[in-house]
Amino acid sequence: MLPPLAVIAGCSCQCDPDGDRHCPECAQRIRSGEIIKTRIVPSPMIDLPLGATEDMVIGSIDFEAAVKTGVSRFMPGLLARANRGVLYVDEVNLLDDHLVDAILDASESGLNLVEREGMSVWHPSRFVLIGTMNPEEGELRPQILDRFGLAVQVEGETELSLRVELLKRREQFDLDWEGFERKYSNNLEKIRESIVNARSLLPGLFIPNHLRTFISEICTQNNVAGHRADLAIERAACAHAALDGRTEVSSDDIIAVAPLALLHRMRSVQEPQMPPPPPPPENEETEDPDREEPPRDLDEPQQQAEAMPPPENPRQSEKPDAGDGAQEAEPEQPPKNDEETSPQEEVQEIGTPFKVRKLASEKDNKLRSGSGRRSRTRSATKQGRYVKSTPRRGRDDLALDATLRAAAPFQVRRRRQAPERRLAVHIKEPDIREKIRERRVGNVLLFLVDGSGSMGAHRRMVETKAAIMSLLLDAYQKRDKVCMIVFRGDDAKIVLPLTGSVDMAGKHLAELAIGGRTPLSAGLSKAAEVLFQVLHKTPSAQPLVLVVTDGKANVGLGEGAPHREAVEIAAHMKARFPEVRFAVIDTEPPGVVRFQLAQELAAALNAEYFHPETLRAEELVKIAKGE
Amino acid sequence: MNVARQREPFSFSAIVGQETMKKALVLNIINPTLSGVLIRGEKGTAKSTAVRALAELLPEIAVVEGCPFQCDPSDTRHLCQYCKVRVANGEELGVRQRKVRVVELPISATEDRVVGTMDLEHALKEGEKKIEPGILAQAHRGILYVDEVNLLDDHVVDVLLDSAAMGVNTIEREGISFSHQARFTLVGTMNPEEGELRPQLLDRFGLCVNIEGLRDPGQRVEVIKRRAAYEEDPGRFSKQWHAESQKLVGKIMAAIKLYPQVAADEGILYAIAERSIEAGVDGHRSDIIMLKAAKTIAAMHGRTEVIEEDIDEAAELALPHRLRRRPFDEIVAASTRKSQNAKSP
Repeated sequence: MLPPLAVIAGCSCQCDPDGDRHCPECAQRIRSGEIIKTRIVPSPMIDLPLGATEDMVIGSIDFEAAVKTGVSRFMPGLLARANRGVLYVDEVNLLDDHLVDAILDASESGLNLVEREGMSVWHPSRFVLIGTMNPEEGELRPQILDRFGLAVQVEGETELSLRVELLKRREQFDLDWEGFERKYSNNLEKIRESIVNARSLLPGLFIPNHLRTFISEICTQNNVAGHRADLAIERAACAHAALDGRTEVSSDDIIAVAPLALLHRMRSVQEPQMPPPPPPPENEETEDPDREEPPRDLDEPQQQAEAMPPPENPRQSEKPDAGDGAQEAEPEQPPKNDEETSPQEEVQEIGTPFKVRKLASEKDNKLRSGSGRRSRTRSATKQGRYVKSTPRRGRDDLALDATLRAAAPFQVRRRRQAPERRLAVHIKEPDIREKIRERRVGNVLLFLVDGSGSMGAHRRMVETKAAIMSLLLDAYQKRDKVCMIVFRGDDAKIVLPLTGSVDMAGKHLAELAIGGRTPLSAGLSKAAEVLFQVLHKTPSAQPLVLVVTDGKANVGLGEGAPHREAVEIAAHMKARFPEVRFAVIDTEPPGVVRFQLAQELAAALNAEYFHPETLRAEELVKIAKGE
Repeated sequence: MNVARQREPFSFSAIVGQETMKKALVLNIINPTLSGVLIRGEKGTAKSTAVRALAELLPEIAVVEGCPFQCDPSDTRHLCQYCKVRVANGEELGVRQRKVRVVELPISATEDRVVGTMDLEHALKEGEKKIEPGILAQAHRGILYVDEVNLLDDHVVDVLLDSAAMGVNTIEREGISFSHQARFTLVGTMNPEEGELRPQLLDRFGLCVNIEGLRDPGQRVEVIKRRAAYEEDPGRFSKQWHAESQKLVGKIMAAIKLYPQVAADEGILYAIAERSIEAGVDGHRSDIIMLKAAKTIAAMHGRTEVIEEDIDEAAELALPHRLRRRPFDEIVAASTRKSQNAKSP
């Protein structure tokens, strides 16, 4: 559908012959009086594969040219090839951060600046960035999300006849794609024409001031962070109008495009809400875009504000932003066993999971091995994605391309100095580069859960389970390994040995029965055992221990007061495993009298301390296309 | 790379029971666009044996002589860079017949090895950049077999998904910018006790089979007998089963020939779409795979018309692993048909 481009012949970044910003090479050629030839080429549609290395994306030294001629020449990368076209990144949420940063920098500034291998070059890099992702695999960082102008949620078609039509067309395509292409080519031609037409209209597009205000209102009302949304809506509305063949934006254009700009930027999760469009001011000008808007009635903006009805709340049953800390989350299923504080066992259903606060460890420079995505660490084995190279030696992991590039500028000279050696490439010690690989290493998450009767009170277990489920979901996405110890009655049991199977953890959680007394000391001891085994096997592991309890220990290992004993054991554990991080989720219900026992425990462990409420990052979130 | 003559693999037809698994594999031989099979089951259930045994059933294809990317001489539009250059220079491409290959992807495979990388030797000798093809290049137009697919390194999984999606492997790394055709039948085996596959990867597998050890004592005895006979003299064992295997090969060839003529009427399409909606699957891949599978099943039974029963059979293979919509849902080994051992190929 992309219309063909007129480019300067021989330019590696598709410079526009009529444009005002050319790459330095083209600018030089024009200045020197060269007659510039023009070519017509298809619009670039560049696919960025996940495994792309940085040198290929931003560009690097042309190794072959350097070897043959000794000249340091820039070999353009994908960012050059995508200029004036489309850069498509599939599974953008899986792309390495440093690549994402490079791409976003270029897309924002419109140019790519390269400083490497002794070169300093820049070239224009303006492209349409299209990314696709499956949210189940992990979310995009908010800063990245924000840089995408528009966002669309795509779902399967549930309408039967449309589904069948889709199926039919797919079969036709598979059986005879050439015929299929021919069949729809007319349609394509029309679309192409309308795009070309729209592009020509775009510079003259006019948006009246009152509609700009309308856009701001929309963004404010939908609690959008930053100002990119406003810009995105304005630009999209102009394009929308142009595509329709008009030169002036209407409120319909804005209403049509606003959801696309809001979906990924709203701080709270709900459907975008549209205030009703403002009526056009009586003396609105539609002809001359250069003329200033004549002064409107000063009362008008107020009238508009009052006329706005309270925001509708279409399909969701979500509550609005909670400022109300005391208000507890309501699970989506109706609660079954309310208010029971029976001493016998009961199984409490899991509340709806919700997003969690970050629990990641700071990245340190230790080398680790393993797959997973919570912490990004330098990889010790030769697994992991080759991220960049380093002159530092010692790991035997040769970065051949970087080595060749480092050696490239010296080839002509070296050949001259040692002609008898007859080598294609003379490599010397200082040229050698090694690979730096990066992998996201999953953490080891050890859940130490209080299964005693006191957890049944006030539905704490439901909320707690919900919190843990969210963490498990997070763990799933980050490829953590999990282990679960439950302490109740007289001792502690490992109900789930260390496993990558986060679903098993979920299953155990769902079936967790509670009742009996609180052997907190036993639980802590068991946890220490497991930690010892884990660290013994993998000394570089960085486990996280999450303790879920109200701290009301009433069964000790020895003779002393159970609670004090537990706190001592905890302090001892912390001293024994300095690398291990602890977090305590205090399930003691809020109330007039609070024993704060879990807090003492947290202090002894030097742990992060949470209530199930503060563990939630935002209100109820729909996870992975659940009901 | 030539190794010493390996012993014959265990004959496919000699595998006792596990008819559903065998059917799923055979369907993929008949129709390579079915997007492969995921075989889930406990240890010792002939998963790997079955895949390795496929070799004797595979048809022959024509490849360009000397081409590392298994180019199809008749598909001029999709020739690799090197073949294109040769053709442009007026060279006539030599053609060779060979069997479809089963390429194994080792668990320890690194991304570089799978995707391809710069030819070190060439770069150092000639000072030129040339690509060294990876495993994906070898697997094109063949079967890519991944044992313990749930233990694969993340980065490798990403790469597999990428190529399996578009049928093309695009490399932009280490100074190499290259792309080549990478259409393969992905066959994976795994033990669910060790952790589940990500839903993304699950969805990529066209069909899924859950298998268990045999319960019937008679069958178990037969397994021991046959295994012992094979271990004792693999060559003789193969010969004994040769006739049976050839019958199966005949059936497969007939089905391959018949498949282009198989048609599904509107009613069938509606039935398929309804099933997917009822099952609540994500996306549309299930419809497409069910249609292809149903047509292949019809061809296998010697018919050019798809009937409702074909859809039943197809749904049993194409739906179960797609019902799992959230990471914590269990894989439901649901089937519309009760018996696992119905309808052998």
